[in-house]
Amino acid sequence: MENTSSDIRQLNEKIHQASAFVDLLNMELGKVIVGQRYMVERLLIGLLAQGHVLLEGVPGLAKTLSIKSLSSAINAKFSRIQFTPDLLPADVVGTMIYNQQKNEFVVRKGPIFANFILADEINRAPAKVQSALLEAMQERQITIGDNTFKLDDPFLVLATQNPIEQEGTYTLPEAQVDRFMLKVVIGYPTKEEERHIIRQNLNPEAATPIRAVIQPADIMDARKLVREVYMDEKIEKYIIDIVFATRNPEEYKLQKLKPLISYGGSPRASINLALAAKAYAFMKRRGYVIPEDVRNICFDVMRHRVGLTYEAEAENVTSENILSEILNAVEVP
Amino acid sequence: MYKQQVIRRILLSFFIGLLFPFGLLAQQTLEVTAKADTSNIRIGEQVKLHLRATVPAAVFNKPEFRLLFPTVPDSLEHFEVVNRSNLDTLTQQDLKVLQQTLTVTSFDSGRWEFPPLKFEVYGANGANSIDTLFSQPLGIDVNTVAVDTTKAFKPIKTVQAVPWNIWDYWLYIAIGAAVVLIVLGLLLYFRKRPEKKPAVKLPLVTPYELAVQQLKSLKGEQLWQQGDIKQYYTRLTDILRTYFEHQFGIAALEQTSEELLNNIKPVTKLNQQRDKLRALLAIADLAKFAKLQPTADEHEDCMHKAEEILEWTRPKEEPVVPEEKPQKGA
Repeated sequence: MENTSSDIRQLNEKIHQASAFVDLLNMELGKVIVGQRYMVERLLIGLLAQGHVLLEGVPGLAKTLSIKSLSSAINAKFSRIQFTPDLLPADVVGTMIYNQQKNEFVVRKGPIFANFILADEINRAPAKVQSALLEAMQERQITIGDNTFKLDDPFLVLATQNPIEQEGTYTLPEAQVDRFMLKVVIGYPTKEEERHIIRQNLNPEAATPIRAVIQPADIMDARKLVREVYMDEKIEKYIIDIVFATRNPEEYKLQKLKPLISYGGSPRASINLALAAKAYAFMKRRGYVIPEDVRNICFDVMRHRVGLTYEAEAENVTSENILSEILNAVEVP
Repeated sequence: MYKQQVIRRILLSFFIGLLFPFGLLAQQTLEVTAKADTSNIRIGEQVKLHLRATVPAAVFNKPEFRLLFPTVPDSLEHFEVVNRSNLDTLTQQDLKVLQQTLTVTSFDSGRWEFPPLKFEVYGANGANSIDTLFSQPLGIDVNTVAVDTTKAFKPIKTVQAVPWNIWDYWLYIAIGAAVVLIVLGLLLYFRKRPEKKPAVKLPLVTPYELAVQQLKSLKGEQLWQQGDIKQYYTRLTDILRTYFEHQFGIAALEQTSEELLNNIKPVTKLNQQRDKLRALLAIADLAKFAKLQPTADEHEDCMHKAEEILEWTRPKEEPVVPEEKPQKGA
């Protein structure tokens, strides 16, 4: 059914009220996390759009603290899995253990049975462990022995990768990276933020504990509203143009990009771009998507979905460079 | 006396008449020969050996007639066969002549005899007759090169230059000449080609004039009056964005409203109209992406704002400088 003008106005008002918790969450997280607003914002987008986040950044940038604080603020269960080369799939999803007293096998659930998972240094574990996690992310259920368990909602995986130490790592294949809605690259804090971090850490007694400002059920309600955010066909066309420009740049007068791109964004890229733009609009307390929302989220949704050729790598061209060129060439509606 | 002469003539005619059948008979027999073109060669030199069989045509045309030339091996005693020609057939009056040439050499000095060669004839004297004919043996002297030992030995001669000949280079010369002719032809063609008449330049429409025309046309189309509000605002913002792009070099068509408002900051004249532009774009975005239905006053106001922005940023017209006329007597 097509939305009318009054429907959108009502939706806008509804979302304006329902999205108020975003400010509350930001305030609560701001108590312990200095800076990193961009990362927190992306985590919330992932949470609201039901997508997972791959985080790339050097150690010590408050990745664990952010997701731990977020889970506390939502009153959700958090678990952290440190990926190592000797990790086994059973260490992630769980296994069957023999109970001598009862003379039977019982299920021992793994750390993945939580609302928020921090998969630290995901590229340090072998492919079978990675795929066990990524399958769980996709299916949102786990099978141990003959038993299938549905994972709790909300379920958000924040996987991290260290961009500097590549030796002894198992690079995630393209097909698996594609399952992450966002790939966020985080940088160092500013000087002012760093000063705050020092002061906060030197005086831990003064730190205020995170309190639960919303419940997981509120997130589930918000997710439903995010899906209802109005997206005009002009915006849909804009999203499709961006994704198609990564596949056929020559059709957008970007012939020079053709030899630099080995593969473009998949249909999953279009879906995630639309979903993430809706979530971003929700966070901005709007009931409709505008081109700014798409542009704002575009790099994080697309950067891991654009394959680079050897030529591009030899010329130090990054997927961000390619996306910038595309965004500067595709007409905004 | 006369009688004696007559008798002599009769006797002569009689003897000639007696000999005639023998001459015919001689012509009718099958002969084979082997002849060398020389009987004296230097060691390693080649000698042509012509094998020849003469067959009367009447015999040759018999269906059962077959003549097999000798099969000479590559190596004979003291001789080597270098080459064998194909069998050649000639017609001479009532005779058929079959011939083959062998090229033979020898590397042994001395006088050697090339052995008689065997020709086999089938069906010459009846359907089942078999005859064998042999050629005569051929004596060939093979001499060594005489070395004058009284003279000093001389070094081996160096590579001798082939005398220069213009015909060895005719192809290169022809190509060079052709290239020169083509170049000359092209030069002549481009010199004599009639010059293109310069295209008549139409008076250019400035971005400002174009935008004003488009706004006028948009007004005339009465889109919002017909309820096509989305299209009205899409066209209105597109006109302004195109104007900014052409007039100020801002890639406005590829920028969102917020980016555009940020990027007009360096253009002072345009930045002075920032608030108006912001208000216009905000309403346009709501109409385009959120199905907002602005009031008639808001539609008019947006059009008015667009016109004001255009008017404010209208480029100054450069005064036309009249050409100076040359004074008389100057």
